[in-house]
Amino acid sequence: MMSKLGVFDISVRYGKIPAVTDLSLQINEGERVFVSGPNGAGKSSLLGAISGAVATSHGRIEMDGDLLTGRQPEAIARLGLSMVPEGREIFGALTVEENLRVGTGMRRDVQAVEADVGEILDAFPILAERRHAAAGALSGGQQQMLAIGRALMTNPKLMMVDEPSLGLAPKIVDQVYETLCALQEERSLTLLIVEQSSLRAARVGGRMILMRGGRIVGEGNAADMADREALAQAYFGAPRSNSDMEAAE
Amino acid sequence: MTNLAQLFFDAASLGGLYAMAALGIALIFGVMNLVNFAHGEYIAFCVFALIVPSTDAVAVMFLGKAPALILIPLVLGIGALIAVLSEYAVFRHLRRADPVAMMVASFALGFVIRNILLAVYGGRPKAISLWPELNTPVELAGASVPLLQLIVIATTLIVVAALALLLRKTRLGLEMRAAAENFTMARLLGVRANVVITGAFALSGALAAAVALIMVTQSGVADVRVGGQIMLVAFIATVIGGMGSLPGAVAAGFLIGAVSVLLQAALPLDARPFRDAFLYTLVIVCLLLRPQGLFVPASAKPRI
Amino acid sequence: MSEHCRNRIAAHSTPLLLAGVLVVIAILVTLFGDKALARTLTETLIRVTLVVGLWIFVGNSGVISFGHAGYMAIGAYCSAWLTLRPQSKALFLPDLPTWLMEAQWHVLPAAIAGGLLAALVALVSGAAILRLTGIAAAIATFAFLAIVNTVYSNWEGVTGATSSVVGLPRYVDQWVALTWALAAILAANLYANSASGLALRATREDEVAARASGINMYRHRLWSLVVSGFFTGVSGALLGHSIGVLNPDSFYLGITFISLAMLVVGGIGSLTGAVCGVLVLSLMIELLVRAEQGVTIGEASLSLPSGTQEVVIGLVMILVLVLRPSGLTEGRELKLRLPQPRAALTHDPQTTN
Repeated sequence: MMSKLGVFDISVRYGKIPAVTDLSLQINEGERVFVSGPNGAGKSSLLGAISGAVATSHGRIEMDGDLLTGRQPEAIARLGLSMVPEGREIFGALTVEENLRVGTGMRRDVQAVEADVGEILDAFPILAERRHAAAGALSGGQQQMLAIGRALMTNPKLMMVDEPSLGLAPKIVDQVYETLCALQEERSLTLLIVEQSSLRAARVGGRMILMRGGRIVGEGNAADMADREALAQAYFGAPRSNSDMEAAE
Repeated sequence: MTNLAQLFFDAASLGGLYAMAALGIALIFGVMNLVNFAHGEYIAFCVFALIVPSTDAVAVMFLGKAPALILIPLVLGIGALIAVLSEYAVFRHLRRADPVAMMVASFALGFVIRNILLAVYGGRPKAISLWPELNTPVELAGASVPLLQLIVIATTLIVVAALALLLRKTRLGLEMRAAAENFTMARLLGVRANVVITGAFALSGALAAAVALIMVTQSGVADVRVGGQIMLVAFIATVIGGMGSLPGAVAAGFLIGAVSVLLQAALPLDARPFRDAFLYTLVIVCLLLRPQGLFVPASAKPRI
Repeated sequence: MSEHCRNRIAAHSTPLLLAGVLVVIAILVTLFGDKALARTLTETLIRVTLVVGLWIFVGNSGVISFGHAGYMAIGAYCSAWLTLRPQSKALFLPDLPTWLMEAQWHVLPAAIAGGLLAALVALVSGAAILRLTGIAAAIATFAFLAIVNTVYSNWEGVTGATSSVVGLPRYVDQWVALTWALAAILAANLYANSASGLALRATREDEVAARASGINMYRHRLWSLVVSGFFTGVSGALLGHSIGVLNPDSFYLGITFISLAMLVVGGIGSLTGAVCGVLVLSLMIELLVRAEQGVTIGEASLSLPSGTQEVVIGLVMILVLVLRPSGLTEGRELKLRLPQPRAALTHDPQTTN
């Protein structure tokens, strides 16, 4: 299988505090990879480093053979990497449709852009209904759908999703993952998802990486990993995952 | 009745001028949190671009000789150019600095531009006559209004409408609005920071040029200090309009213009020279009552 | 000696070291310099009073003030009202109240009165302006400056409006200026190490955390502005009495720019930065002024166009902001380093404040 993303030995630090230390990771074309781990494990910093929003102090990152390290976030986005950030970061004052169009500045295929807008609005009927309304007025679940749609509009090859279940009711989370998987199928996307709940990851399926203290401490099939974690929890009482608490919306 | 109409036209034209200056400040603040103290000097620079560089007391027209159809786009271009150049030379290197450092740097840059103008053109104000025929009064609604006032009001409306269209309907406008709300997210979606910021500076500079043309025609004087007072009013308008809010800046500009004209009319003769002191005091009071700005919905999160 | 005790001594060594530097400069200039150099020194020491006064507020609170030239004007005119001869006041400032018209104070109480009036205005204006935070506060200080300038430029019978007030007793030489500069440095250090100063600097580092720990930011900012206003007012009085002439425009954008430039170039974070900025930029101004007047090298006479001074200082300020954002001192204080006992490796002599 072809390697889509290669992370080689990167470190991220905020001042003197290390967030990610000597981390390496390979993601293959079309793969679905979950990153899991407790708060402060460095999951978001890893995504930040890949997207260019956070500077690395060491190491290099490649996508399709292009070096990403040292590039501006917009340049990386233009190479085909898209991001659904934690907390969704919707442009609240823009309309739903405008939100979708923010990321299309790099695309020259005008007709395909229009087709994509139509397709995404079809895929999310609730967004189509509120197409010309301010995005800030959408509910949390709707905003999550919009954030995914917005990220897709850049026509990415690799999409990163940071904690899509944060603050959403379990039923909505099911819906979000269904959509993500369907889209991945349809567009042969490569997905990198931060998900605190290993159970959730196991249910969706894919490879899982467990991070702790800025390093990878475990890797494997999501279902196996979840079993192992459940076992460890039963014996050692590992910290309770956040998503269970925050799911109560 | 005559008086009322007169007051209205005075207020609307002064307010229009303030609104355009405030828009120039708010545009840049919106995208990069910079309070640009050099904006007044952009205005002064555009005024002096009209005349031949010399320290003589009499101004000889240079660009000012060109017909309006060429002159106006040319001066707007010069304003855009100086603003973009200043971004390139100074503010680009301060992108990661905190807003206070950027503000102090813009203050320093303004001082540099001002002193270059002083060195080249001398310190004395010069008489300059650009389109003097526009100051002829016309009868309207029972008031005698200089043609220029009507042109200022019309220009403001056109500029505000054009800017609104540009922000609503164009790619650059969409990117600027997205960047103003969340610059990092916009960049993660491939919006190029340099394009958006350069665009904001160019627009801001062109607005400064428009203000310069109007002020010079109105006052008939080229003075290095021309930018200082209007810039202060523009700052105040952006603050009471809610930092970075463009509609707020326009509304606050008109409001300050109106209050200013009303104060001028209502104050006793002895107190008139102190009009600006009253105006600024009112502004501080107004900020105390609504620190987040007059035209910002209470639900909006503070930007600073 | 305990760690704490050593830190206290180090903190209080700063003003003494800074004072020592200024005294040595003053003695050297008096011994070896000419009259022009002595005048430059006087001007520099007045700026030390001004910039240290400005630092007491800006350095501790982290809020930029564009309004301090206003406090300067208030101090300067107050001292002029109290010390001018009644005959010239009757001529130039006919609208002064009788008791002021007849006042003929000694210069020292007049300077103190100037400082106190400025402090009072700081209290009143600050009570309003400091309710705001961040950029809105900075712009409000700018509005305050414009208010003072509008009033003083138009109040014909009391300030002489735009025509200058002349004939002030010129008593300020380098020793008077030095004394006030030392007083300002001592006071600034006392304030910075007082409970209020320490609390205020905590708010500068992290407003939210400081608030959460119960610090009343507003009160400490106001208090620092009052102390700051006093010394700024005094510096205005000193300036008036060193050149003998007052004009409202001497207390407007020009002096605001220079004083902020000095603070930024030296480093806003420390008292040493404030003093250092004044010394460095004053030296530069002096060199540039001489270059503007012309240098004769052999037959040829070279001179820089006037205005070069301001342009160069502006550029230096921008360069410092870009290349060394926390100024030449980077927020460090000049401190006495006491010998440390073996174990005290944790004590870093370079830590700020």
